[in-house]
Amino acid sequence: MVNSAKRGRRRDWMKYGFVGPALVLLIAMNVFPLIYSIFLSFTNADLIGGDYESRGGLNYKVVFLAAKYAGALRTTAVFVGLAVGIELVLGFALALALKGRLLLKPVVLTVLLVPMMLPQAVMGLYWKLVLNGNYGILNQILGALHLGQPQWITDPALKFFSILMIDVWMWTPFMMLIALASLNAIPNYIYEAAAIDRASKWTVFRRITLPMSAPLLGLAVLLRATDALKQFDLVMAVSGPNDATTQTLSALLYQVVFRDGKVGLGASYSYVVLVLVIALASIFIRYMAALQKKQKEAPA
Amino acid sequence: MKTWSVRLAFVALILMGHTAYGQEKSITIWWAQWDPAAGLQELGKDFEKETGIAVKVHQIPWPSYHDQVFLNFGNKQTDFDIVVGDSQWIGRGATRGLYLELTDWLPQAVDISTIHPRAARYLCEYPAGSGKFFAAPCETDAMGFVYRKDWFEDAAEKAAFKEKYGRELTTPDTWDEFRDIAEFFQRPEEKRYGCSILAGRGYDGITMGFQPFLWSWGASWGDAQTYQVQGHVNSPAAVAGLEFMKSLLEFTPPGGNMADYFSNNDVFLNGSTAMVLDYFPFYPGIVASMGDKVDFFMVPAKGDKRGISLGGQGFSISTKISKEQQELAKQFIAWFEQVRVQKKWITFPGSFTANTELLASAEFAEAAPFNATFAASLDYLQDFWNVPVYNELLAVSQRYLGEALDGVKTPKEALDHIAEEHELIMLEAGLLK
Repeated sequence: MVNSAKRGRRRDWMKYGFVGPALVLLIAMNVFPLIYSIFLSFTNADLIGGDYESRGGLNYKVVFLAAKYAGALRTTAVFVGLAVGIELVLGFALALALKGRLLLKPVVLTVLLVPMMLPQAVMGLYWKLVLNGNYGILNQILGALHLGQPQWITDPALKFFSILMIDVWMWTPFMMLIALASLNAIPNYIYEAAAIDRASKWTVFRRITLPMSAPLLGLAVLLRATDALKQFDLVMAVSGPNDATTQTLSALLYQVVFRDGKVGLGASYSYVVLVLVIALASIFIRYMAALQKKQKEAPA
Repeated sequence: MKTWSVRLAFVALILMGHTAYGQEKSITIWWAQWDPAAGLQELGKDFEKETGIAVKVHQIPWPSYHDQVFLNFGNKQTDFDIVVGDSQWIGRGATRGLYLELTDWLPQAVDISTIHPRAARYLCEYPAGSGKFFAAPCETDAMGFVYRKDWFEDAAEKAAFKEKYGRELTTPDTWDEFRDIAEFFQRPEEKRYGCSILAGRGYDGITMGFQPFLWSWGASWGDAQTYQVQGHVNSPAAVAGLEFMKSLLEFTPPGGNMADYFSNNDVFLNGSTAMVLDYFPFYPGIVASMGDKVDFFMVPAKGDKRGISLGGQGFSISTKISKEQQELAKQFIAWFEQVRVQKKWITFPGSFTANTELLASAEFAEAAPFNATFAASLDYLQDFWNVPVYNELLAVSQRYLGEALDGVKTPKEALDHIAEEHELIMLEAGLLK
């Protein structure tokens, strides 16, 4: 009896021993900075150190009142909405086209996947050269075809869309890959049953293909939206962090923290954004869960 | 036994070598990546020959130079002994205890009267004109125009210009003359353009490009004593200056609304543009490539007012290094400021001096085709705010000036926004009472 109690206590210590180091690291690297940055968000802490003091809620007041913060939030929302929307539609369309038998399918798939495997910052610089209004290859081709030569990265009406276009070019393959996986996961017998029922192609797409691939597509949307929300590399490479028409959340944060050195203000802005993102993500996850539940409950 | 003796001797040799290596003296200088920094590295070899102190110049690409320097200042000890800091940084460096104060030392090491007064004021002192030194001159720089001399001297062009404007085609002394010449050479169908001014959205491009218009039209960023901004940067004169600047975009190559230091260099080198504004250190490359097809003129005036953006950098010693390293850094700066060393310094591409004796010499004027214009430009140098919150002020001006040139806001709206936000920043920083 005594031996068994000892063994139990030893097992308990072993559990803590195994989990402990990871837990300490997690607290040191994640939990502590998180709590410390909440504290910093109420101060005038500076990047180059030195004493700082409390500012009360002034940082949060600045974030809510200064137009540039709302502007960056709006730019990011539009960017995420358009980028993820276009990538979803194009990626799904490509997946549908590649689902069947196709000559050189592995080669086509590999080529399509190349953009998303390249570093974003490098691609930003590469596209900046391609889109250069004076010597970029795109305008040279357009010129040779006697077409207009838009100023892709300097025209205020175009520079945001140029960054959007690069993002779509890079990340459509990701959507395509997940969409292809979701399409391949739909059992063939369902399509065969639909064929026996003489369902039209549109009905098959609307009633079988789309709803059955929705959960995986939803996951892809969530992953891409999270990633697009952090858009930084392309903005930095193409227009820099301080251009009002292309300034995303991350670019503004970089400007505030690393250029202006205002760590406290940057922390407060991050927390406002974090609350917004958590709220949106929660709504989306609940919607996805409801969709999955509905699918499970639907008659076979 | 013998093997052990050999091993011990080997370890002793390594230790001796290590000790000797540890005794080697060196200083590390951080600067942006460009020709003058490469020149400084070369010049540093002379210092090493004379003193035995090695000089390492660490070059950082311009777009990330500012951010890397101030991130490094966040450490307990900086990786550099000397930073060649932009003129606007001096307020932050001085008031935050990052730059070593040189007020007592500099006048003993360098004859201050030989430093061009504008360079001393904007590159070395904080507050400007206070006599408190936090830097010594390194690269004294100014803006100026490079132009196509061969186009200006072409007989057919001269005749056509005279017929259209009723005067000779010569380099412009006023902005109105400049506009006429830009309009005259604007021929997009021939891929020929009138001018390219500075409007880059990176670190400080558009702000530096706007300043000559601001000052020449008789306006300013604000009152340097009271830090009052309203009524200065958004005065009718400032609005008129920005409107004029914007009107020049009609005569630029495509993308001229965002032209930066590097793209201006490109549009001139590709032979498409008649007159291009840039800082003088970019010009040795143009001269090397285009020879006597090009020449230079000073930034034009409006009436009797002329203002030119200063672009130089000074040597500042980090406070976050040991006293011994600070002494070595001082030794290097004192050596660098000697006339004999300055004479060699100006022979490196894009390297300019603040030494008045050299600036006035025929030797300097004849050394490069842009030197005489550079020397004449120094008397008109002015600078952006160099207060500790310069970077926030700069971010605001970059943003709204960009919106004005992009047509998102009118020049008046943009300058009103700048005045409003600059005033808030000044208030928050405790500068404006």
